[in-house]
Amino acid sequence: MRRTATLSFVILIAVLVAGVLPLAAQDKPRSGGELVFVVPSEPPSYDAHQEETFGLIHPTAPHYNTLLRVDPNDRTGTKPVGDLAESWTISKDGLTYTFKLHKGVKFHDGSEMTSKDVKASYDKILNPPAGVKSLRKDMYDAVKSVEAPDASTVVFKLKYPESSFLLALASPWNWIYKADILAKDPHWYEKNIMGTGPFKFVEHVRGSHWVGKKNPDYWDKGKPYLDGYRAIFISNSAAQVAAVRGERAMIQFRSFSPPERDQLVSALGSKVTVQESPWDCLNFVAMHHEKKPFDDKRVRRALSLALDRYEGSKALSKITLVKDVGGIQVPGTPYATPPAELEKLAGYGHDIAKNRAEARRLLKEAGVPEGFAFTFKNRGIPHPYEPLGIWLIDQWRQIGLNVKQEFIEASAYHPMLKRGDFEVAMDFQCGFIVEPDLDLARFVSSSDANYGKHKDTVIDDLYSRQSRTTDLEERKKLVRQFEKRLLDEEAHVIYTLQWHRIVPHLSKVHGWTITPSHYLNNQLDTVWLSE
Amino acid sequence: MTKYLIKRFLLMLPTLLGVALVTFLLIRVIPGDVVELRYSGDRGAVSQDILDKERARIGLDKPVWQQFATWMWGVVRLDFGTSMWTGAPIWEEIKLRFALSLQVAIMATIVAVILAIPLGVLAALKQDTWVDYAVRIFSIAGLAMPSFWLGIVLILLMLVVFKWLPPMVYTPFWVNPWQNMLQLIWPALAVGYRYSAVATRMTRSAMLEVLREDYIRTARAKGLMQKLILSRHALKNAMLPVMTVVAIEFAFLIGGLVVTEQVFNLNGIGLLFVQAVAHRDYTLLQALVMLVAGMFIVVNFLMDVAYAWIDPRIRYR
Repeated sequence: MRRTATLSFVILIAVLVAGVLPLAAQDKPRSGGELVFVVPSEPPSYDAHQEETFGLIHPTAPHYNTLLRVDPNDRTGTKPVGDLAESWTISKDGLTYTFKLHKGVKFHDGSEMTSKDVKASYDKILNPPAGVKSLRKDMYDAVKSVEAPDASTVVFKLKYPESSFLLALASPWNWIYKADILAKDPHWYEKNIMGTGPFKFVEHVRGSHWVGKKNPDYWDKGKPYLDGYRAIFISNSAAQVAAVRGERAMIQFRSFSPPERDQLVSALGSKVTVQESPWDCLNFVAMHHEKKPFDDKRVRRALSLALDRYEGSKALSKITLVKDVGGIQVPGTPYATPPAELEKLAGYGHDIAKNRAEARRLLKEAGVPEGFAFTFKNRGIPHPYEPLGIWLIDQWRQIGLNVKQEFIEASAYHPMLKRGDFEVAMDFQCGFIVEPDLDLARFVSSSDANYGKHKDTVIDDLYSRQSRTTDLEERKKLVRQFEKRLLDEEAHVIYTLQWHRIVPHLSKVHGWTITPSHYLNNQLDTVWLSE
Repeated sequence: MTKYLIKRFLLMLPTLLGVALVTFLLIRVIPGDVVELRYSGDRGAVSQDILDKERARIGLDKPVWQQFATWMWGVVRLDFGTSMWTGAPIWEEIKLRFALSLQVAIMATIVAVILAIPLGVLAALKQDTWVDYAVRIFSIAGLAMPSFWLGIVLILLMLVVFKWLPPMVYTPFWVNPWQNMLQLIWPALAVGYRYSAVATRMTRSAMLEVLREDYIRTARAKGLMQKLILSRHALKNAMLPVMTVVAIEFAFLIGGLVVTEQVFNLNGIGLLFVQAVAHRDYTLLQALVMLVAGMFIVVNFLMDVAYAWIDPRIRYR
């Protein structure tokens, strides 16, 4: 009897171990294979310091490292970790950042990477030579100097403390280039690749594909897991879906729409895994503050109060790329608005009848008659602009406004906004890291992107204060005040719904975590294939 | 004949110049420019200073007449400059795509000719019989179905029924003929079918006309075999309008497969056209229009030469 019990116990243990082992094996990264992914856009040049499109980041980021990076396993995309930097210290006054670099890092030509290269790359970003563009130079206004006291140390000195500085250094655009090459020709990187990243460049066939192969001398030993990768450029969304569905591609890192996700899940079943996240992209409504009646904050508030964001979210998230109701920071990230506070903002309360009654009262008080007509200018892009535009018009109709929608062709859209040739228009932004400094800069009165032309010294002051405080709780309070001022008290702009990122990929792709930004997590060093 | 050829050749030059001028002006009428599109990006907050400097760098700040003169001087030297979007030489942007589009055009033409001529002749010979009706239904269906729609149906069929999709990346024929054919045969069939429909109807009507001519009746009266009447007398004369249709369609296919190329993800000239328009890449767009216009003009010239060769009345006129 006792022997039988022992035997049963052994069998039970064996079954349990057998059941658990394959799972454990699946979790352990496996080396080999080629990742094939779709990129819906193509890089104009190869120099990330001067480009603005994910079409460059997706195929090219695996060739490079940055000083810091955003933790590839952090779903909020807000945690800086070292990339080329092994460690760092921050002086007590917050004005000196000292970084120690990994040793033994080599460029793909075999030469050693030192602090000289980091300094040269940042010098190019901060003070580009004549004729060289640096698109995100303004992000580093706080930097006084970059120094390289020895081969493995880089020191950034700031003019004033800046709470977002570490994340700014984790920008996915700030690839570290080779100093000697930059010294000879600062334009060299526009047409050539030479990094320290996990994959070496093989070829780029314009309009067709980009190929990278494993860097066997990669400094982070054991990585990358893949033998290589192949990025296929496909602009047509139906062809992108077909590529994944036909298993010619394994993933598309930007996003698919909800119907496209459903189509892939229904066709591939368990062969596909879907990762979703709130997306650090947003459409908001700009109202021209120099045009009547939008110079009156009561009218602007009324337009926000009319929106039933919660019902809108339910309906629109089935057909297009929006979902969460959020404030000025992506839901789920450190500075996001808690739901209880969000509901206090104009147009965010759940009682839509009450909101709309208040909207009508405000319009009446401002002298806006029933049936008042204006034109809403929208960008001629199907998703999510068109469904969002139709939704907005319907919502405004319900407070007695008669709105005509005019679509402006994509390339003519920014010039129209810049000229101020609108009363009410759809505006948008996509961030590469969720950070108040990056996401809110456009609402400062002097910003080039303040298309509604509001002048608000309170907003400007709050922005500056939240940026310079190093106390997290204090910063949160300031961000909330900024938000209340921007969306409620002055209603300078109207936020619609947070974009929603949907990445369905073949289940054999592992080691990649979705973040709120499609610019992040494209180095591919952690990605592996289980088949 | 020589005088005729020289005259036709010289007529090509003012046509090309006209195309160049109209293209240059028309694309500048469209709002938006390449710099705005490239640098406004997702944040839409690039400083005006960066935009102005970039415009100056690529010459967009100069007067339009000066831009035109600079460009024409390059064209005369067969230097189309660099793409305003990528900075790469235009020829580099075009060469691979041209090879692909040319191959699809040739394959679609072969499909069309193989289908159209026998079917058209058969329909004419069996006029008003079930054979004729069947051919007419087949060709009208080809005309009615856009080739991109047929392409989508083909892709869905392959995906749903065979769980297979053609390769997504172009492999040149000389590198791997099998991979090349696996990718290009489907668009060639989709496009070739529509193309054959036009040519079938033209062959049928031309044959019907020729078969009613006196010289055919005479040939029959002489007791000539039907096969010889068809091949020596009827078909050769009926081919003139068919050749025109086939040639013009061929030139169209080089740059006209915009949607079909998107459906099959072909990295061809049509897709490049769309990208050049979307990016407001003036230099690339101008070069592409000149390329396609050049194709049409050269094909027309070759047709004129072929006409003169086939029909002596034309060269003696």
